[in-house]
Amino acid sequence: MPSFNAINYSTRPSKTIQRQLIFSCLEKLSSILALEQAVYIGFGSIWFTDFTLAHTRLGVTQMESIESDEVGFSRAKFNRPYSMVNVHFGHSNSVIPELLNDDALTDKPWIIWLDYDYGLDETVVDDVRLLVETAPENSVLLYTISAAGNKYGLPRQRPEDIRNLFGPVVPDDLSVRACRDKRLQATLAKLGLDFMSAIAADANRPGGFTPSFKIAYKDGSPMVTVGGILSSNANLADVENLISSENWNGMVVDPITAPHLTMRESACIQSLLPSDLDISRDQVKGLGFDLSDEEIAIFQRYYKQYPNFAQVVF
Amino acid sequence: MSERPDKVKVSPTKAFFVRMITRDITLEDSILDLIDNSVDGAWKTEGSRPTGLAENVNLANYVIEITANKDSFSIQDNCGGMTLEDAVEYAFSFGRREDDLTDDFSIGVYGIGMKRAVFKLGEKISIHSTTPDDKGANFAFEVPIDVNQWLGVHNGPWDFDLVDATPKENSGVTITVGDLTESTSNALGNPAFIQQLSRVIGRDYSLHLNQGLTILLNGKPVKGWDITFKSSVEFEPARLNYVDDVDGRPVSVEIIGGMAEAPPDGFEPDEKGRKQDPYGWYIICNGRVVLAADKSDISGWGDVWAKWHPQYAGFIGLLVFSAKSASDLPLTTTKRSVDRASGVFRRARPRLGQISQSWISYTNKRKTMNRAGEDRQQEIKKIEGAAKPVSVYQVQPKATLVLPNFGDNIRGEKQANIAYSVPVSKARALARGLGNQNLSYREIGLQSFEYAYDDLAGDD
Repeated sequence: MPSFNAINYSTRPSKTIQRQLIFSCLEKLSSILALEQAVYIGFGSIWFTDFTLAHTRLGVTQMESIESDEVGFSRAKFNRPYSMVNVHFGHSNSVIPELLNDDALTDKPWIIWLDYDYGLDETVVDDVRLLVETAPENSVLLYTISAAGNKYGLPRQRPEDIRNLFGPVVPDDLSVRACRDKRLQATLAKLGLDFMSAIAADANRPGGFTPSFKIAYKDGSPMVTVGGILSSNANLADVENLISSENWNGMVVDPITAPHLTMRESACIQSLLPSDLDISRDQVKGLGFDLSDEEIAIFQRYYKQYPNFAQVVF
Repeated sequence: MSERPDKVKVSPTKAFFVRMITRDITLEDSILDLIDNSVDGAWKTEGSRPTGLAENVNLANYVIEITANKDSFSIQDNCGGMTLEDAVEYAFSFGRREDDLTDDFSIGVYGIGMKRAVFKLGEKISIHSTTPDDKGANFAFEVPIDVNQWLGVHNGPWDFDLVDATPKENSGVTITVGDLTESTSNALGNPAFIQQLSRVIGRDYSLHLNQGLTILLNGKPVKGWDITFKSSVEFEPARLNYVDDVDGRPVSVEIIGGMAEAPPDGFEPDEKGRKQDPYGWYIICNGRVVLAADKSDISGWGDVWAKWHPQYAGFIGLLVFSAKSASDLPLTTTKRSVDRASGVFRRARPRLGQISQSWISYTNKRKTMNRAGEDRQQEIKKIEGAAKPVSVYQVQPKATLVLPNFGDNIRGEKQANIAYSVPVSKARALARGLGNQNLSYREIGLQSFEYAYDDLAGDD
């Protein structure tokens, strides 16, 4: 089943927070990489949430969406939010090479976000490899994959599976423990960044690949987003300064597991913020309801990105 | 008319020299050259002796610590250090001086490794050595080299400066390199290069690592390759040794070969092609692997006997040379191959042929068996499965390889080859469904055929 039928993309709080973080990072990069001139490439599905943000927040005016499902393709064309969005029918493995051959696209930087709804496999590795090798200079490349164990077969076979996919960057002593439960997210994230760095170094890309995004999140199913910048040599120092500054929040240590809060709950906690001190469980109880310490901590960290959803009946 | 000069200028320029000597070696091999110096130091401190497989030497006190990233490189050891006299007279001259006493059972021979390695790495170099002085206290000196500055001085001797330095706690050498060359910086910043370097160190120094030596790469201990051969009543690796000589000086030679893993059942190109395999011949000189997993005509494939074919996978052979003087060994200057003109090597090579050919013939018979139906296939699986891994150090002398002797008159039913294409994602999903997501495409095909056969055509 295509995932647009399974999930309404817009109503997942952790994913929304993740998307907000990424776009705030892209805004910071924009002045260095001239991203308002960039081409945005992604899997817009029928919702085009990220495409809308790329236009409204970054000022991007050229967009290419890839859709491999036949019905999805027709619906995607119908749901295009702007006239400048082109929808390409086909698997990313065949559409991306076509985009890379289009001279009208490759003379500008790209923002590519491949938001897969499945786990790491050969097709993901092929897309990422090709893009790290050949995307235009000053591009930003991100991909999102599932880190759910059931996408990766039996735990004891996972180290070999991951080794077959990412190749020589995978340490020989990668343990089964590192490939299961919560640690699978961290392992896929770290090796994904190592893989992209290695491909850029092997291809001797001027400016290389600067790892810049590492975000694990979970709305039900655990996901991982990793990515980085394929800057020109001239912009490399500025990019490295930005990524290593405290201002950069694309490398998130703990997974984002946002609680599902009602509008009333989130508004009440928000009334205590911002605060230099951690909000305690007792304070929340004082508001008249209860949440776990972890839920409170995550809400406090990401309240500015936390979404509110409402059902509208016409 | 002015007087005619009676000489033409011949002296090399420094820049030419540096460019030439660094051109023909890989970064990886340069780093191994520095490790060789440390290993030689440990070996010398420990009391030099032959480095064959049987020797039980304990190198547990020695640690070589390598730190490598895109900005700098360093290697630090506690392997005895370089004496002041060694430094002043020998260690920095380009090429080994004739009056240099040859290190016993060392791997360094040409007097080029360290200089070439540091020039390959970068432009700001420091070589620091701590040794005990005559009163037993620690004494240290440093040779700092600023390559650009050194290249800029065109006249006069090629010497480097030597300055006083603060001694380190242990006797040993520390080499640090900054201002890395662009290609070095690129490689050392590549996680795949570092992983691969770790693998190569683990393989090429496996004999030393197995003797207790510690090598740390970016803080992580490198694990030595645990060399094993499958052994049972039906399978025994060959092991023979003899002493050759070069102008009256002895060179000991040891040859071991056998089945490390069962050969593959199918060898169609498929998704596993990216993996490096460890099979083929290894040539080891004074403990250091100089040629690894060789499947080329150097060890004899495609020259003396059949060209390598994936059907022969599973075979590993070691050819081990030990000599007091490294110059008697078939080493090249990069230590990444053998000198094929060397007499000791040419005399050893035919013996590799006997072992390789027995293996080739076994895999041929095995292929015939595999085609002769399931009973025969099960028979092979059973015999091969019964063979258990035995450490290379425990292999008993045996002039020839012992292998199962399958009958020559195997004839089976004619076989059908079935080929079809499906999307990779579906193939992987089916592999997971069959219980192993790492199955080769061939295995996925066979197992799904068996599954369908049992269901639709099998006996009730």
